Amino acid sequence: MLRYIISCSLLFSILTSSAQADSLDISPRDSTSFGERYGLRIGVDLSKPIRALLDSDYSGLEFVADYRITNKIYIAAEFGNEEKTSFEALENINDLNRVEIYNYTTSGSYIKLGIDYNTYENWYGMTNSIIFGARYAGSTFSQTLNNYTIYDSNRYWNPNNFAPGSDAPQEFTGLNATWLEFLLGIKVELFANIYLGASVRLAYLFTNTEADTFPNLWIPGFNKVNDNSKFGVGYNYSISYFIPLYRKKAKAKKNENPVEE
Amino acid sequence: MGKIKILLLVLMVVISFSACEKDDICVDGDTPLMIIRFYDNDNPSELKAVPNLRIIGLGQSSTVNTIADRTSLDSVALPLRINEVNTSFIFISDSADEDDLETGNIDTLRFDYSTQEIFISRACGYIANYDDLSETITSDSENWIQNIEIVSPLIKLQDSAHVKIYH
Repeated sequence: MLRYIISCSLLFSILTSSAQADSLDISPRDSTSFGERYGLRIGVDLSKPIRALLDSDYSGLEFVADYRITNKIYIAAEFGNEEKTSFEALENINDLNRVEIYNYTTSGSYIKLGIDYNTYENWYGMTNSIIFGARYAGSTFSQTLNNYTIYDSNRYWNPNNFAPGSDAPQEFTGLNATWLEFLLGIKVELFANIYLGASVRLAYLFTNTEADTFPNLWIPGFNKVNDNSKFGVGYNYSISYFIPLYRKKAKAKKNENPVEE
Repeated sequence: MGKIKILLLVLMVVISFSACEKDDICVDGDTPLMIIRFYDNDNPSELKAVPNLRIIGLGQSSTVNTIADRTSLDSVALPLRINEVNTSFIFISDSADEDDLETGNIDTLRFDYSTQEIFISRACGYIANYDDLSETITSDSENWIQNIEIVSPLIKLQDSAHVKIYH
């Protein structure tokens, strides 16, 4: 639900502000130089700090960057750091009486490198994007098992609770994972050189180095790891600043719209 | 901007659905019970049921919850204490009450073991397996249990007997 509210509010802010950008952008920006603008765009993911404010079990920060190399192709990267405490509880029990069977904290950094392909045909002077992208990503992290109980469906010796496991937190370090990520996203120029972006991502886990006694259940940058599948999902909402470096003319298109008889 | 608005709507739908997850219910494993089978001491390959068997965990006030109390059984499954290194059970053969006094033959068995904690799955978390199982019988004037054999010192599966008791 929270995610839905954030989606809505960000959506409306994009829609209303992009309408303003349209009406302001009547005349070409630069009358002496023609061509597409090339440069570096750097920014930060807005969703992670907001989530950290609302959820005390989470903290995270992600920087995003892309560099335009051709008319449609950008080299893109994200890097960040996340820490999340998660628990697993028995089903069919409400929040007040929930029976936690284990509780763990994952903490680590990740980097994602790849390309963005812009499929959006802009009017002259505009640089909005609808993006298909791919990333190769890696994360190094540690997991701490804070506390756990031993699952046992027989209730003879422990009628009210599961037998507790060790109380001392166990830390598993030196964990790492790599994955491939495919993304669908947009970037909209809100004001001059300020872009708001959003993306959804589908990731496929490639390698996963786990501790012997506790698997990687959550990976920074990848999010939840499923038992029976190597796929993960993610998203981000970024705000970025474009640093224009140079202009280059778009190639003339040959017979893009052949006249029909 | 029409194309972008449509894409935004698609994104929103995807994101709202990605928040839904399959329920995690533990079906992948459980802490195993110790399986005991009762054999005839005179004919060690033959199973022999114990008449009116009653089993009580030492320190508990109720009989074990895995068998029907005071029935004739040749096979029982008993829960062990996960946090301890041993569990004792009181085995009563021919169990009956007379003026609130037990008239059956009472034998006490202690099982010693080591516990291994094993992570099974996201939904189940940890379960226990037991290893290095050994037994000690408290001898009295007339033990109905004649002999005990540990078949499998590792208690991981429940498909065959871990302990054979001859009587």
